Formats: sequence, C-alpha cells, structure tokens
Amino acid sequence: MTLLDFSSMFFTIAFLVYGVAFILYGVAVMGRVWRNRDPDQHMKKWGKVSFLVSTLGLVAHLIYFFTRWSGAGHIPVSNMFEFMSTLSMMIMIAFTVIFIIYRKTLLGLFAVPIAIIIMAYAAVFPQEAQPLIPSLQSWWLQVHVTMAALGESFFAIGFAGGFMYLLRTVDFNSKNKSDRRQQRGVEFTLLSIVVVIGFIASVYAFRVGGYESVFTQEQAVNAQGDKTIARVEYNLPPIVAPYQSEVESFQSFLGIDKPLFEAPSWMVGINAGRKLNTIIWSVLAGLILYALIRLILRKPLGRAIHPLLKGLDADDLDEITYRTIAIGFPIFTLGALIFAMMWAQIAWGRFWGWDPKEVWALITWLFYSVYLHLRLSRGWQGKKSAWLAVLGFMIVMFTLVGVNLVIAGLHSYAGTN
Amino acid sequence: MIPEILSFQNTKCECGHQNPVGTVLCEACGKPISKEDQESDKLLEMRYDGMARRSQRSAPNIIDRVWNFFSSVKIAVYMIIFTLVGSMLGTIFPQESTFLNIDAATYYPETYGTAGSIYYKLGLSHTYESWWFVLLLVMIGASLVICSLDRVLPLYKALSKRKIRKHLQFLTRQKVVYQTRVNDDEGIWINNIVPALKKKGYRVHTDGSALLAEKYRFSRWGPYILHIGLIIFLLAVLARGLPGLNMDQHLAFPEGEIKPIPNTSYFLKNEKFTVEYYTEDDLPEEFKGKGKILPKLFRTQATLYECTADCKDPSKEPKLVEVDSHPIEVNDPLNYKGLKAYQFDYDTNPILRSVTPALIEKKTGKNIGEFKLDIRNPERSYQVGEYTLNLVEKYMDFGMNDLGEPVSISPNPNAPSFLFLIKGPNLPVQGVQYFYFPKQIDKQRFQQDIINEKLAGTNNLFELDVQGMNNVDFSMSTSYLNIRVDKVMPFVWLGSAIGMLGLVFGFYWQHRRIWIRIDEGALTLAAHTNKNWFGIRKEITVILQKVNIEVDEKSLDNGGNQV
Repeated sequence: MTLLDFSSMFFTIAFLVYGVAFILYGVAVMGRVWRNRDPDQHMKKWGKVSFLVSTLGLVAHLIYFFTRWSGAGHIPVSNMFEFMSTLSMMIMIAFTVIFIIYRKTLLGLFAVPIAIIIMAYAAVFPQEAQPLIPSLQSWWLQVHVTMAALGESFFAIGFAGGFMYLLRTVDFNSKNKSDRRQQRGVEFTLLSIVVVIGFIASVYAFRVGGYESVFTQEQAVNAQGDKTIARVEYNLPPIVAPYQSEVESFQSFLGIDKPLFEAPSWMVGINAGRKLNTIIWSVLAGLILYALIRLILRKPLGRAIHPLLKGLDADDLDEITYRTIAIGFPIFTLGALIFAMMWAQIAWGRFWGWDPKEVWALITWLFYSVYLHLRLSRGWQGKKSAWLAVLGFMIVMFTLVGVNLVIAGLHSYAGTN
Repeated sequence: MIPEILSFQNTKCECGHQNPVGTVLCEACGKPISKEDQESDKLLEMRYDGMARRSQRSAPNIIDRVWNFFSSVKIAVYMIIFTLVGSMLGTIFPQESTFLNIDAATYYPETYGTAGSIYYKLGLSHTYESWWFVLLLVMIGASLVICSLDRVLPLYKALSKRKIRKHLQFLTRQKVVYQTRVNDDEGIWINNIVPALKKKGYRVHTDGSALLAEKYRFSRWGPYILHIGLIIFLLAVLARGLPGLNMDQHLAFPEGEIKPIPNTSYFLKNEKFTVEYYTEDDLPEEFKGKGKILPKLFRTQATLYECTADCKDPSKEPKLVEVDSHPIEVNDPLNYKGLKAYQFDYDTNPILRSVTPALIEKKTGKNIGEFKLDIRNPERSYQVGEYTLNLVEKYMDFGMNDLGEPVSISPNPNAPSFLFLIKGPNLPVQGVQYFYFPKQIDKQRFQQDIINEKLAGTNNLFELDVQGMNNVDFSMSTSYLNIRVDKVMPFVWLGSAIGMLGLVFGFYWQHRRIWIRIDEGALTLAAHTNKNWFGIRKEITVILQKVNIEVDEKSLDNGGNQV
C-alpha cells in the first residue's frame, strides 16, 4: 500500500466518522425529549460523545492531509478535489475552535453536515495526485491556500450560526408579510443546500451506472478558418448539447436517445454546454429531492427544523455568529488577499490583475466589511445580521466554486466539473 | 440659533464638567446629558463613549457638510456596496485587459451577441479602469480618512479623560451589571478585589469606594490602524499611475542574444532557455499512456548588463558591464535594484541567427570561399576570394506587395532574404544581382533559381550554398520575459502590513472596562467591552468568585442587544 492509498483510506474513514458524528449530534439534540431522562443531562452527555467522535473524524482527516502531502510531495491543495477536502477539514478545525469557546452542542448538528457535503463534493472531482505545474511550484501555495481556506471556514461556521439563529427566531406560524418573507428566505437557503446534495447524488448515481455520451464540436483556431475538433464526455445524460455539436456516441437514458436542447451560441466552448447540463441536472435532482422531503414531512423544511432549536439562547447564537466572522475576517484578509497579492507579485509580476477569482475574493472581503460596519456602527443585529452571515457564505461558495464553473480565468487550473 | 444656545446650556453636567455640543454622555462622570435620556432606563449608547464628534456640529457650513457626508458610516457602507456590485459586473465577461490585441468594439458583440454589445457600450469591458470605479475608490479613501479623524480624536479624549467614580446611571445602564450589598468596609472591599483583577491583566485605578479596571485599550485603535493601512495602500495604488513609478513591458529574448531593455540602460541576455516536462514516471497511474503533457519547469538563464557608454549610438558597440545573473523561473524572477524580469511565455520554434554559405562556381562546382552572414546584422559587403558581394537590400520576412515588388512584410526573420551585387573576374563591370534565401524552404517557395536566372541571364554563373548543417546557427528558442519596475510596491506592502496589524489588534483583543462603586454598602458593578460579551461575563464571574461571590454568567446580562 502506497502512502497515497493509505491517505485515500483515511479520507474515507474521516467521511464515515463525520457521518457517525452527525447522527450522534442528532441524538444529543433530538433525544432531549425522550422519556426517562433529564434533557440537560442528556445533552451534556451526548454532546461530549458527539464532540469526541467529530474530533476523531478530524484526526483522520488530518492524517489524510499530511500523508497525501508527504506522498504527493506537495501540499494537497492543487486541484479541486484536494482544495475542497482541505476546505472541509478547515471547517472542522474552525468548528472545533468555536465549540471549545462556546460549548454549544447544537452547532455540531449544523457545522458537521456542511463539512460532509463539501467533502462529498470534493470526491466528485478526479482524485489523482498530479505533480505541480511551474506556476504552482511555490512556497506561497501552502500559505495562501490554507490561510484563505481557514478564513472561509470561519465564515462557514458563521453561516451555520446565522442560519441557526434564523431557524430559531423566524416566526414560522406568522402570516405577517415580513415574517413570510423570512420564511421563504430560510426555505430558499435549505433548497439551495438540497440542490447541492442533488448534484452530488446525480453525479454518483450516473458514475456508478457508468454513464457516458460524447459530443464533438468544430472550433475555429485562427482567422484563416483553420479548425480543430473538440471533444467532450458527458457523465450525466445530456439534456443540453454543446452549441453546434455532433453526437459521437449517445447512451440512451429513460428512452431519450438525443439531447433535448442545444446550448445558446454565446456559451463559448464545448465545456460550457457540459457545465450548463450539469447545472440543469443539479437543479432537477435537487427539486425532486426537495419535493420528496416535503412529501415526507408534510410541511416546509424550515418549520420542521425550527422545534429542534427550542431552548437555545438566540443572543448567544447571534454572538457566536459575529465572533466567528470576527475571528475569520483577519485570517481571510491575510490569506485570500495579502498572501495572494504577494504570490501574484512573485509569480505574475503584478500584485493585482482583476482576475475573476481575485475580484471575487475582494467582493467577499467587501461584503464582510459591510457586515462588520453595519453591525458595529449601525446596530444591525439579530436577524438582519444573521441574513448577512448566510448571504456572505453564499458569496464565499460562489467565489470558490461558481467562479470556476461559470467564469474561469487564471485560477482555472483548479479544475471544474 | 436657539437650539444651539439651549444645547450649550445643557452640556454642563452636574459633576461640574463642561461638555462640548453633541456630547451624549458626560465626558467625566458618564451621566447622560439630555433630559430625555436621563429619564430613560434603556441601555446607554456607548459608541465612542458618548463623545461629541465634529460631524455632529449644529448649523453646518459647506465644509462641515462635506465632512458630514464622508464621515457617515451609512455613506461609507453605500460606497462599499457600489464598489462590490461594480466589481461583480466586471466579472460577467472577460475584461479587455485580459487580451493582448483585440478590437473590443467588434470582439464583444461577435463573441457574446447583444449582451456583449451592451456590455461594451456600458464600458463594463474595462470596469476597473473606468472613471466611476476609480472615483468610488477615491471616495472610499476620503471616507476612510474623514471617518477615522471624526471618531478617533473624540474616542481618544474619552478614554483619557475619565473619572473613576462614574455616575450611578452610567453604571446601571451598561450591558453587564451586577448589584449586591457588601458588609465590609468599602475601601477594604475595593482593595480586596484589586489582586483578582490584576491577575486577569487589568490595570486598576481606585478612588476610595470606586474602582475602574481596564485592559487592552489598544484594541480600540485597531479599526483606525486598519484604516490608515488602507489609506496608504490606496494612495500607493493611485500613485502607480504617475509617470516613472511603473514600467511594464513584455519582450522577446532569443536564446544567445543580448537585447536592450527599452527606456532603461540595461541589456539582458538569454543564455539558455529550458523547458522540461514531467516524465511518465512522475504522472499518476491514471494519466499514463494517455499522452498527457504536463510542464515541469520553464527557466531562462539570464544575464543582466548595464550599459556604461555608447548606449544610444547605433554605429558603435555599447559598452556593457555584467551586473546580475539569475535563473529566472515562474515563481522566481530576476530582481536587480527594483528592475524585475519574470518568466512570461516561450517559443521553441528555432530562429535562424547566421549562416556561413560558400560561393560556388556553378559550372565547375568550385568552392571559391565562405563568409559568415549574420541574419539580423549583415555587413555592407563581403570579400570572398577575388569576388566582392555588396549587400543591396535585405528583407527579414520576404513577400510581394500589390505591385509585385519585393518587400519585407514584417520585421521578424521568418523568411529572410538578401539581394547581393556580385563583382569580380568573368563578370560584367557593373556586377550581377543575386537573390539569396538562407532557408531551404524559402529557396523553393520563392523560386530563388528562377529569380536569379531572370536577374542575371547568361551571367548567372555563381550561387551561394550552405554546405552542411554545421554552417547554420540557430537560436533554438525564444523566451518572453515581462520586465517590470514598480516603485510603489514597498508602500503597498507597508499599507497591507499596517492594515493587518490593525485587524489583529481590533479583532483578537477586546477593550474591557469594569467599574465598581459602593454607596453605603450598595455595590454596583458594571462592565463594557467593544465585542465578545460572552468573554467578559465569564471573566467577571471568575473575578467575583475570588472575593467569594457566586454569580451565574447569564444573570450579569442586563439585556439589550448591543455590541
């Protein structure tokens, strides 16, 4: 067994242990109302057990990280699989730090699944450890990416705290206009999470089924009209084909034996069609999954989760959210902006070049600075502040995933699916 | 005028301190100034400790109004949001600056259709250079300066001008309050709690039966230090636009050639360019046998020279002194006194540097002699045996214009060609013209032999021929380097460092103050922090335990939602 195989094994172990930890946090929180027990005692006891297990998961995750580092010869943050697994590890580190400060068991019930989802998302991407291209061969890769990921992880925990605050305080029975809007907001956030799960689920389902269709597209190379043939493999059944493409091979799915639509012309390149197809699949799968959950629960998800948070002090949640973001902000500034500028100066000769990824890191930073100003100087607290924490993390995720998926740019070697 | 006079009267506190207009809480004892506020039992507004700010002057003049505009956090937040949205818009389509040569007016509509056309017309294809974006940054800079000045001075005064014995209302209306009765002597009780506070790092000041404990005041300066850092950063970035502070050029350096760097006195020689790829063994199993090529290394071994004399005179060789030598790699530029050379791109197509052809008598095949022809810098005439070859014309990239005349279609040596006038024995006195294409492929493509037959007719007796590859000298590759001078960089880093320091001070420490006063056995403890209430409540619980008072952390919370 090579070191890399050993590392992959620990990746799986960490994933499974997190799954167990999540269930245990669920037991700790939901078991409070079981018969024959004192709710506080139960929460205390099971909270300890859950934290112990999630910490074990983190240890396995750290073993994965360092063995892969040693096995591949460079820090495992050089492609999308490695980055996302590191991000989920950082989220667990941030969670552990915040848990040690505040000892809120319930936070685990929300933070651990975020790490699990991101880890599952990581596993969607090719997992081979490949050697570094020249532009990544730098000491700065280690400090820039890890610090940026750690800062973003605190924002992720801030999102968990803010979202818990909303689930706790939004009045799910009110018909009042502003309450209705907040209910819809909570529901939309939950739906977005379900869409991400839908994406991961459909990728895995078709990967297990070994699905593949192939398209080709003629692409102009130069002004003289020379052309090359680009080729793209779809691993999800093509609802949308690339613009002006030919079918090379098509595996039929549910009796559909040709793509239903073609991507619009402004979607340049053969991969644009594939990405659009992936997005459509994710939304479809997410909606189906959401509908199923609604059918089982027979009420909006937000309203179903709301009672779990009963008895939790809302002010504490507000404080945890703010504090987490306040801890993450300087780390993010250092990692995602200052170290990024220093590296860009050495690698590309300019510290700032308005590359989409750079711009979105700046947008994230501006957004959280708005959050801090509104909170510190204009008294935005409670729900308003919690909504900003939720929105902020969505911006973070767009910066990390959306930019690669939709915009690309110089950071495109991070790879996308 | 009347409200001003009234407010003037009202600013004198009962403790005898005269406060400036706009003060919320007495600078000395902390009692609320306005009557309304005195009667309220809500939590106090502790921002800037209730000090008056310049922006709160009544009857503002023009300067005051400008000041007020920029000192408003609300306005600042709007400016940040506008910048944020503007930045987002700029990432919808690639910016013009990402392309080296495009005609933006046609590129955007052609590539992105109507949306692209609108994008270009709105000027979003160069968002970050547009006047409104730069203006926003300048306004944020102004706001940073004015907001900070407006607040930092009053805050400084508030924190340095303090009475230890605060007004009772100031204490009971804090967010953290604890009240109890003590039986000990007041002075002794106060002295007993001092060690517990000191142990937690507080600086303690006592005044009889009153106490003030304070720590980490520097945390309050964090935001202002950050703002100073940002101002330096923004000024440095704006200064880059000034002439002479910034140079940025992309230059081609063929292997083995010394080339001048325009607008400097430096010359750079690409001694050797290396590109290496990972071998199959380095690649993971999944990639093997798939023909996947992954670069491992781009390196230009470069030598930098400084010109000391004859730099501009084309007739003389410049006098060069070697000043630096460095293997330039992607993450490792050459750096000599602020002049930096970055590995940017490369081209491994060989470029012909010189040939050494022989003059051959066609009929007999006799080799009359050889000469070295430098493609870029040929000499005016060559002497080969008894024959003289005068260079009439040279074409770096041979082609024909519309009139059928030979021209050079580019300055790049893609298809070099030379027109000689050969003079010597057995040739007419005026000489014979001879076209020479050093590259074999061009010789056939442009039909060198047919041209020469037409030019010389019966006198076409000689030809130039390169006999073997050892008479050909190629530059094997060309390295493209990005040559930069950026004199403001130290200030960019200084600004970043100061800003970072401010962030750490502001976020990882919290300014905590605890006030205690005992009035005839009634003890009132109050505390204030700028963030992390959870932490200060916990700390007070521990401190009170030391003097044998057990309190529940949460019971210290006086309610409200104040940060």
